[in-house]
Amino acid sequence: MTNQRRGKRGLTQTQAAAILLLPFLAVYAAFLVYPFFRGVWISLHDWNLLAVAFNPDAREFVGAENYVRTMWGRNMEWGLFASPVMQTVGVLGIGLALLGYRAGRLTRSTALALGIAGALFFLLPGFHPGEDGRWYDRRFWPTVGNTILFVALAVPGVTVTALILAAALDGETRAKAVLRTLFFLSQVLSVTVVTLIWQIMFSPRQGLIANVTEALGGTPVTWLTNEQFAMAAIVITTIWWSLGIAMILFLAGIQDISKDIYEAAAIDDATGIKAFWYITLPNLKRTVTLVVVLQIILHFQVFGQAHLMTQGGPNDSTQVLVRYIYQTAFRDSELGKASAMAVFLFVIMGAFSVVQFVVGREEE
Amino acid sequence: MKHVLIGTALAAMAVTGASAQEVSLGRFFGACEDAGTDTTTSVGEACIIQSIINAADAELDGISVNTLPTDWGNYYDQIIAAYAGGEPPDIHVMHRHRVPQFAGLGALAELSGDLAAAGIDVNDWAPAALDAVSYEGGIYGVPMDFHANLWHVNMEIMEAAGLVNDDGTPILPTSPEELLAHAAMVEEATGHDYLAADFAQFPIGVRLVLALMWQQGENIFTEDGTATIDTEAARNAVTAITQLFDAGHADPQLNYADSQQAFLNGEAAVLVNGTWVVDFYDAEAANPDVALSDYYVADFPTLFDEGATWADSHMWAIPASLQRDDPETYQAALRVLAFINDHNIDWARTGHMAVRNSVLASDAYAGLPHRDEYAGTAAIARDTPASDSYGAIQDVLNRELQAIWLTGKSLDDALSDAELEVQDLLDG
Repeated sequence: MTNQRRGKRGLTQTQAAAILLLPFLAVYAAFLVYPFFRGVWISLHDWNLLAVAFNPDAREFVGAENYVRTMWGRNMEWGLFASPVMQTVGVLGIGLALLGYRAGRLTRSTALALGIAGALFFLLPGFHPGEDGRWYDRRFWPTVGNTILFVALAVPGVTVTALILAAALDGETRAKAVLRTLFFLSQVLSVTVVTLIWQIMFSPRQGLIANVTEALGGTPVTWLTNEQFAMAAIVITTIWWSLGIAMILFLAGIQDISKDIYEAAAIDDATGIKAFWYITLPNLKRTVTLVVVLQIILHFQVFGQAHLMTQGGPNDSTQVLVRYIYQTAFRDSELGKASAMAVFLFVIMGAFSVVQFVVGREEE
Repeated sequence: MKHVLIGTALAAMAVTGASAQEVSLGRFFGACEDAGTDTTTSVGEACIIQSIINAADAELDGISVNTLPTDWGNYYDQIIAAYAGGEPPDIHVMHRHRVPQFAGLGALAELSGDLAAAGIDVNDWAPAALDAVSYEGGIYGVPMDFHANLWHVNMEIMEAAGLVNDDGTPILPTSPEELLAHAAMVEEATGHDYLAADFAQFPIGVRLVLALMWQQGENIFTEDGTATIDTEAARNAVTAITQLFDAGHADPQLNYADSQQAFLNGEAAVLVNGTWVVDFYDAEAANPDVALSDYYVADFPTLFDEGATWADSHMWAIPASLQRDDPETYQAALRVLAFINDHNIDWARTGHMAVRNSVLASDAYAGLPHRDEYAGTAAIARDTPASDSYGAIQDVLNRELQAIWLTGKSLDDALSDAELEVQDLLDG
């Protein structure tokens, strides 16, 4: 591509590209890049939202103090058995990465990613407050844990359900077309409508679920105020809500698979579930990766469901990171600390974007 | 003649067009679609306040009031963000407990010099009302009510359990032991719960515990900013309530809507909720389709040494920036506040207590449904000491108390955690 041909109006390809990209870049810079760096800048200040609005000098540069106040504690220690489950998982991860790479089952970057994740799991949960010590912010890490739990439940939930639906609804009959539209419909609703619908569904007094339970002779579950069910309730709501896009992506993937393969398989008596397992699934590997990574990034930002349905309760069991950021910034006016948490969230989501990038490149 | 008519019409349009001063108004209380402009017949907080606003819009010459869409749960977040963005509503409602946070920063207009000219007589306000809107010697709002926690009682259930005096008033407990005994009597006679309240979502449970602490002469933090939650008084207060859960006489998992529904369905003898629902429950009790039929309102009973119940005030404020930069809209905003102040009796119909002496002394006020049944509440109204972190402190308490009754966290752990966190907030 070194011989840049001149177009009719005398623009080189590079110039044309620059002009076409400019509007996007300008908007991107103004509404994403600048606010991001501004956020990082705010996170280094003691910055009260209201106070600074009335007196711009009311902020004070404090360096990394907001990060320390959020993530660290007094008299912190590191222990090998501070959090045995997580640390064992970490060790297993490291071991698996080493073995897999030695045996040639894992590529270098996958093994590296797994190894790093394992090392983090081993190292980070080992920190705990020692004698007379305490976390400066007792709620931050449990909130991170809740967010990860939510992602760990919602992402497989959405992926598996969407995949099954896509496989079942792939085809040209009228009924399937109608059902496809119906299942996609929930996606276009706003979070307020979705949570309203599900709050009524889950209500132990008037709710549909309670009525069915009672008709079957059971006691209705108080979904939203019971610690064991609250997280499940918002995960179910989320799966129902965000099924559509994943289903469409899977449908597109399935329709890309050549019919010849299915015909050949049918001769070998592989139809139905067998064909799904041995043909559809392996051919959808890239789509699955895409859906999973997109969902992970999306669901780390969960807010509305927890905010509107459970208010983060009971006992913080559904308190998630974005809600905590929101409360810190707007209820407590602590914009600096909230920005520090937002930067932390950005790092997590950035890491998953890198994973997607690496996995995507490998497969090419 | 035709020319004259057209000319008059044009002139009228020009006049109203030129002087119609738009006043934006932010409030909670919920939405009411068809409130109308009749302030004397609307029912429930949302519709009564909206009918007053609509009436102001219709009756005040040259002023149009625009109610902004705000959501109750996120109201203060929205107001804070609006102030931070430099575009707060011209008038907004708030609670007295937020005055230190907003007035302390200079966000609110100091009104004392302008109220009389606008037709608002400060001398007519009850002393506690003036106190509610005052901050460091200035007046930062126009008070609208006192509201407090009450005991809403289903007399039919009380009767069945033999808990009614000869004069027809309910027999309410005077100690935590009696509370448990009464609950057992209700259970035995009717199979129903004794007490319902939102213990699972909004801080009604917190307000209950606070009241029981104040009844022992204690508070959750001192005026000088020391948290005092990990105390014997707090243990007594929480245990008075958890004993009901443990014995199955109350369900901690009901939220606001569900606990209210339980009460209206006739499934609980007592509902702990505020003054804001008296007219609504009264209307529901008159509805033959609703199980609750014999409705009574009682002052929060004294279970310990002295009477106390959680209370607060609603008030209307104007941003300092409006007073400084836009005198015309500021004057219009004051006229709207005066209009609301004039309609204090209509607002009191919700069940809230009026703030104006002239209204408090009126026959119309005394004649409001159930008003005489909770006449003692004004004298026992209490709140925590003023703090910039009021909202965050309530959240900590709500979380830790819910942890006790919803998730089985031990009382000692919850109280010591709450004390540490509240102390952090107080140290700011």
